[in-house]
Amino acid sequence: MSRFFRGGDDSSSESSSDEEELYSGSGSEDEQEKKPEVKKAANKFLAGSDDDDSEDESDDENADEESDSSDSDAGQQKKGLSRFLVDQESSESEEEEVEGTTKVKSAKDKRFDELEATVNAIQNGQKINDWGSISNELEKLIRQVAKLQVGNKAPKLFIKCIAELEDFMNETLAKQKVTPKKMNATNARGLNAVKQRIKKNNKDYQDQIDAFRKDSDDFMESDEEVVQKPKPTKLKFSAAAAGEAEAEDDEGFATVGKGGRTLQFTPESILKHLRTIMESRGKKNTDRLEQIKIMEKLLEVAATPYQKIRVLMTLISARFDLGSGTATSMPLEHWKAAESELATLLKTLETEKDHVVLEGVEEWDDDEKAPVIAEGEKYIKIPGSIVSYIERLDDELTRSLQAIDPHTSEYIERLTDEGSLYNIIFQGLLYYEMLQKDASLEVPQESLNRVIQRRLDHVYFKPSQVIKILEENSWKQIPSSLDSSITPRTEANDAGHLINVLCNYLFENSDGIIRARAMLCQIYFLALHDDYYRARDMMLTSHLQENITNFDITSQILYNRTLVQVGLCAFRKGLVYDAQNTLQEICGSGRQKELLAQGVMIQRYSTVTPEQERLEKQRQLPFHMHINLELLECVYLTCSMLLEIPLLAQTGSSPDVKKRVISKTYRRMLEYHERQIFTGPPENTRDHVMQASKALAAGEWKKATTFIHEIKIWELMPNTEEIKTMLAKQIQEEGLRTYLFTYAPFYDTLAVETLSSMFELDTRKVSAVVSKMISHEELAAALDQVTETVIFRKGVELSRLQSLALTLSDKASALIETNERTLEQRTQGSTNAFNRREQRGGQRGGGQRGGRGGPRTGGNTQRQAGGTQFTGGALGAAVRG
Amino acid sequence: MVDAQKDVSVKSVQVEALVVMKIVKHCSSSFPTTATGSIVGMDTNSLLEITNSFAFPTTEVTHTDSHQNNNNNSSNDASSLASAAPRAKANIAYQNDMIRHLKEVNVDANNVGWYTSATMGNFINMSFIENQYHYQKDNDKTVALVHDVSRSSQGALSLRAFKLSTDFMAAYKEGKFTTEILTKSKLTFNNILVEIPVIVHNSHLLTSFLHQIPALPETAEIPLPTSLDDIRRDPVRASAHPSFDSLDLSIDPFLEKTCDLLLDSIESHYTDLNNHQYYQRQLTREQFKITQWQTKRKAENAARVAAKQQPLPEDQWQTLFKLPQEPSRLEGMLNARQVEQYSKQVDGFTATITSKMFAVRGNLLPE
Repeated sequence: MSRFFRGGDDSSSESSSDEEELYSGSGSEDEQEKKPEVKKAANKFLAGSDDDDSEDESDDENADEESDSSDSDAGQQKKGLSRFLVDQESSESEEEEVEGTTKVKSAKDKRFDELEATVNAIQNGQKINDWGSISNELEKLIRQVAKLQVGNKAPKLFIKCIAELEDFMNETLAKQKVTPKKMNATNARGLNAVKQRIKKNNKDYQDQIDAFRKDSDDFMESDEEVVQKPKPTKLKFSAAAAGEAEAEDDEGFATVGKGGRTLQFTPESILKHLRTIMESRGKKNTDRLEQIKIMEKLLEVAATPYQKIRVLMTLISARFDLGSGTATSMPLEHWKAAESELATLLKTLETEKDHVVLEGVEEWDDDEKAPVIAEGEKYIKIPGSIVSYIERLDDELTRSLQAIDPHTSEYIERLTDEGSLYNIIFQGLLYYEMLQKDASLEVPQESLNRVIQRRLDHVYFKPSQVIKILEENSWKQIPSSLDSSITPRTEANDAGHLINVLCNYLFENSDGIIRARAMLCQIYFLALHDDYYRARDMMLTSHLQENITNFDITSQILYNRTLVQVGLCAFRKGLVYDAQNTLQEICGSGRQKELLAQGVMIQRYSTVTPEQERLEKQRQLPFHMHINLELLECVYLTCSMLLEIPLLAQTGSSPDVKKRVISKTYRRMLEYHERQIFTGPPENTRDHVMQASKALAAGEWKKATTFIHEIKIWELMPNTEEIKTMLAKQIQEEGLRTYLFTYAPFYDTLAVETLSSMFELDTRKVSAVVSKMISHEELAAALDQVTETVIFRKGVELSRLQSLALTLSDKASALIETNERTLEQRTQGSTNAFNRREQRGGQRGGGQRGGRGGPRTGGNTQRQAGGTQFTGGALGAAVRG
Repeated sequence: MVDAQKDVSVKSVQVEALVVMKIVKHCSSSFPTTATGSIVGMDTNSLLEITNSFAFPTTEVTHTDSHQNNNNNSSNDASSLASAAPRAKANIAYQNDMIRHLKEVNVDANNVGWYTSATMGNFINMSFIENQYHYQKDNDKTVALVHDVSRSSQGALSLRAFKLSTDFMAAYKEGKFTTEILTKSKLTFNNILVEIPVIVHNSHLLTSFLHQIPALPETAEIPLPTSLDDIRRDPVRASAHPSFDSLDLSIDPFLEKTCDLLLDSIESHYTDLNNHQYYQRQLTREQFKITQWQTKRKAENAARVAAKQQPLPEDQWQTLFKLPQEPSRLEGMLNARQVEQYSKQVDGFTATITSKMFAVRGNLLPE
């Protein structure tokens, strides 16, 4: 390899000398500019022939020809096809050569040799129009140059090479547009790669390239000097650093390899290192772990706060990059490291008040100098976003919690990190508060909102004792000199107040989703702490149920969670009806798991794409935030039982029994349970509730109470005993109602005393229940106060014909509704649709309606066609007929 | 009955009293089960005379067939078997035999249709249509007599004659009852069946016999016989009892029954509706897919044209996608007709019952 390249070098050096001669001969720029034109022409011609012939062969030929011509011609001409490459090469090789001959071969020289070889290869590639190899070589070249860079200056050779390559590329591209034929695939791909590479790369060296373009002669001449200059430094460097530098160099070469940096960790070079790391971010084949290691070392040497902050920020982002895969979460040790680094960062920022990290600030470009505080400014502004780091850290914790099996001790261990995360959030909040105090910084309100939202997210679902501990811990962390204006230290002890303050802050200072979320969090917290009426009122005044469907899915999940929590709260308060109503929406759907994001449903009918499934998994809440589903089901079923059993007894066997169903889920379970021929003792919650229902329906309220009390899951509720007593009371009352509904037809009178002894209820309570039933017209009876009896009235129930007629009229009006809806649907948007319909579909549409309405064709427009109207209609028709 | 005039073939049906009696007897004897039989007679101009009838041997068929059918599918019961009898193979042969025998005894030997029993007018179903179609496809001048047992038991004889309208015959022949065809042929539930007025005709012999039945005494007071001779000469002839059935005031059972039937019909209407909605959803889905495919193909073709390539055929979707079959609307139509039938029944019933109620009320009110 080296042999070959050496040979190449020789020839190019020759040619370059020729070139120089030419230059010196002509000595003018004009001359020089002409030459490229000639070359271009040749290029074009050759390229054209290329395309005509089979490519490979012609390439070879061209190459041959060219080499021939190059031999005969002046060196530059030969490069016809690939003038740039050769030019560059020659120039570079020239430098190299000069260097090579005059200097001792240091490591740097060796690199120069390599560079030269690569440049040569590129030139060769240009000659034969082989973009594939050019692209490869260019990659290599750029890497090599990175090592050779002195300050901001790249080797002249390199500059020349890339400048010429760019021209050549543009030329080729232009040609390509004209010629109809296509390049072959590898070539095209190579060309594209080169194009992108050059675009990106040349920007960095724009100054030098411009210099080169402007006056390649001068440039080349200055070459000498420049090349000379670095030499001494190099030598100095190697001399000064002596063996150590050498060793480090080698070592650096071995470890960094791909990155191609010499590793020298001095405070001065930190920023440069950071820049290269940042540039390689997101690229393929970058060893992130390696970079992190480097940055850790950099952090050790960082001297100024500016450097420290910069290193920390880059380091944290690099750590986050580790976990950027879609499925995997961030490794634990890196999370911890990131967390501690974020803490350090916040601490540094706190102590170094003149450094601020802000979003959308211009970057300090100069890597050489440390930034200074500009005139009239108070701060050194560093671009970055603390809130994003905090959010990311939080998300990563959630993700890792999602991945860990919640029943292991690992989960609990991981969960303890939440405390430190909370501290970070808290410190972040303080920091943003501090920033906001200075109006000149123009900290966007949104950042502060986001931090507060995160803080809220961590506390809203926790009992107040836990929040208190959390708060105390985080206050301990920060020095007593600091205080929060939003959540003052003095009020840290009251969790309810904290939530209130946080939420109110968000109401006042934010809008849209954050506001809604804050509202939901507060409702959740209130419901969790048994403040049902406030929670309910807030829920109702928020009007969220109307537009929650427009929000993103996580907010919808929060809404569902809040709804469920409010329902549970109502249950704890003994408000069975409200609890059932609230829970109906979530529990009645049979998709609790999905709606609360506590598990992925297996969908039987619709196929879910892996993408959807992944998203679904991402949305899952970590286990410690779960609402116990079994408890939820138990509460829901118990409430449904208490409402449904009396209703079932009331409706009896009337034909419209289907219409009044409170909970379909419960009905289905009950039916299923009744179909069973043998029922064993209850095993799970559902069995217990079902058997209790059966007992309650039969009037055996005591049995029902035992069944309900046997359910183990009540233990999970605070104040288990209270809830059991409440339930027993409810069962007694509902049992009484059921009994009255079922057996009223068999009684003429019934003493309140008897009822009270049957259900072990206070006579006053019994009278209350009976009065309520009478006033709601559920029971055809009267209460005799004097004799303390219930007197049932007879013959007030509907006859079978009457109930049938009612059902029929209901059905008929439903049918009319349907027809009208269909008509509306069909005719929407067209004004004369009605007329058209009359003409076209008159028979079908109109006829059907006539048919449904019986002979009373004209009457079916009356929406509220009640039973009486129907009879009247029939009678009327009879009179007419 | 506008459509009746359109079908000039038969304008009215004249049924012999004998046939009425035979049908009534047969139907009421087999009551809850449906009874069917064949009728013979002849047509003169637009009048169809029905002069005799005979029952199909349903019981035998039921026995043998139900045994076999029990093995196949046990859902068949006697009623459905009987209602399918007129077009059963065995019965066609039986009918032909019977007609031959009748011819030998010099009775009109033209088959002019069939009769069936019904309860509360619930006769409109697929079986009825199929039977009538079976007869009418060969001979246009055939009718179906429907005897409603439960209504006749309330006093008034309920015997009605129906035939299928020509439009419906044509449509049924096609066997397609899609929305499109229905709109085109303007076929609705109203004009499936054509009702033909029925005239009961008594033979002269019978008329003269009826006249011999003594009427009620003209005066309230009958002069007492003055002597034994008087009694001997003019014995007291018991007059025929007037029918008190028509004074029956029980409203509820009839209306309840009708309500039940109506509710059933509405249920089946909903089933039909659901089927149709399901079909429509399927159709929209398919059509959406097709339009998607078409736009995709169009874009593809545009690209191909730009690249000077042969465009791909754009009507390939016909083979790629299969539109769902539209469910037959016939069931729904019949159902609608059935509902109409019930409603008319109630209408008619209330008409008579109201007058009775007024009469009763007049008596009950204190003077």
